[in-house]
Amino acid sequence: MRRRRRRGDDAQAVLETALVIPILLLLVCNFIGLMVQVTVQQQLDTATALAAESRFQAPEAAVDPDGTRCCGAHGFAALDTSGLPTGCRYAAETFYGTMTTYTGMLVWQTAPLCTSGGDSGGGGAPARPATVYPGSPENADISCDLGSIGPGGQVIPGFVDRALHPPAGLEVVTCEATTRIDFSRTPLGWGVFWSPTVHARSEALPPPFRQ
Amino acid sequence: MGGGRAGAHCRSTRRLRRAAQATVEFALVVPLFLACLLAAVDAGLWAVQTSAEVAAVESAVQLAASAGSTPTAQTAPDARAITAAVAGRLRGALFGTGIAGWCDAGGNGSCLPDAQQRCPATPADVQAKEGPRMVVVCVSEQDPPACVTPPGGASPYPPGCEDSPLITVRVIGFVASLVPPGFGAGAGAFEIATDISATTHTLRFAP
Repeated sequence: MRRRRRRGDDAQAVLETALVIPILLLLVCNFIGLMVQVTVQQQLDTATALAAESRFQAPEAAVDPDGTRCCGAHGFAALDTSGLPTGCRYAAETFYGTMTTYTGMLVWQTAPLCTSGGDSGGGGAPARPATVYPGSPENADISCDLGSIGPGGQVIPGFVDRALHPPAGLEVVTCEATTRIDFSRTPLGWGVFWSPTVHARSEALPPPFRQ
Repeated sequence: MGGGRAGAHCRSTRRLRRAAQATVEFALVVPLFLACLLAAVDAGLWAVQTSAEVAAVESAVQLAASAGSTPTAQTAPDARAITAAVAGRLRGALFGTGIAGWCDAGGNGSCLPDAQQRCPATPADVQAKEGPRMVVVCVSEQDPPACVTPPGGASPYPPGCEDSPLITVRVIGFVASLVPPGFGAGAGAFEIATDISATTHTLRFAP
């Protein structure tokens, strides 16, 4: 009877340890996963913010000539930007050049690279979705809504944010990107069973001195 | 009487065995618990450090993308100027880690201009040159190809020849951490690799 009790105590201790260790490891893995998510979010915020701002480094009326391609490094697809505003390629180059870490664990949601004419709505004006520039690549990991000057000199509007200067709003450049963190591609996949989706959206206002 | 003594002996042996078992369990669980605790603390530390690096490269690349000393300057501020500008921000978060500007020395021993600067390819390159627990701020500039007369068209050739230079700021190296020796790719003792970069086109004004 006593021997059986002793054996029962031993078994209980083994069981406790066997329960506690995986729970402890799971907690640590998930905490690390959370930290990775925070870091990816911050890097994505930075990449989209710099991308939106970089549109203004290109002349407003500049258009990419035939045969212009960009990006394609760090495992991303190369994009054909012929006929699109140069600022759009600048935004893509900035985004892909900044988003260089953690790429192995990110699953991107692709979208058209260049759009125009979106409207946030408000102050009596209805919200309006952006339209895709003709010839814009559809498989980009970042999407920017930006204005430009067309070939005939006509003004193609960017995104109108009516919250900035209601009710007329201000024309801004917006860039957004969405990705999913796939922990199963890393050793953390052992204990992290969730796959968070991270989204970033940035707006940039044209500098006052811009020609 | 003899049976009573034997029983007492048996009870004290059981007590001893239980105490020994508890000690063994404690000795097994405590290092594991401490390892988990250190891992959690280190993950938090790593997130703080990476966050500071991301913020630093963002402001550094904006600084580098702006004109150098005058509005019409064609060269970006060099790595040392950028390092000085962001070192304070990095130093606050990268405790126990040294910060330096990367200098790819030319033939005369002075740092090459940004357009010829080659940043270290891996954190191990930084370690080989600067030692353990060091990060460097590297500024490199990629100039567009020169425009030539197009082979039959009027548009600038080759594509992208009229672009403003592309500037990249990288914070690369090993930051101090609680990771024990032998963990992490190429890491020595108590350090973890980092490689954060930001890229943008430079803003240039016509002279």
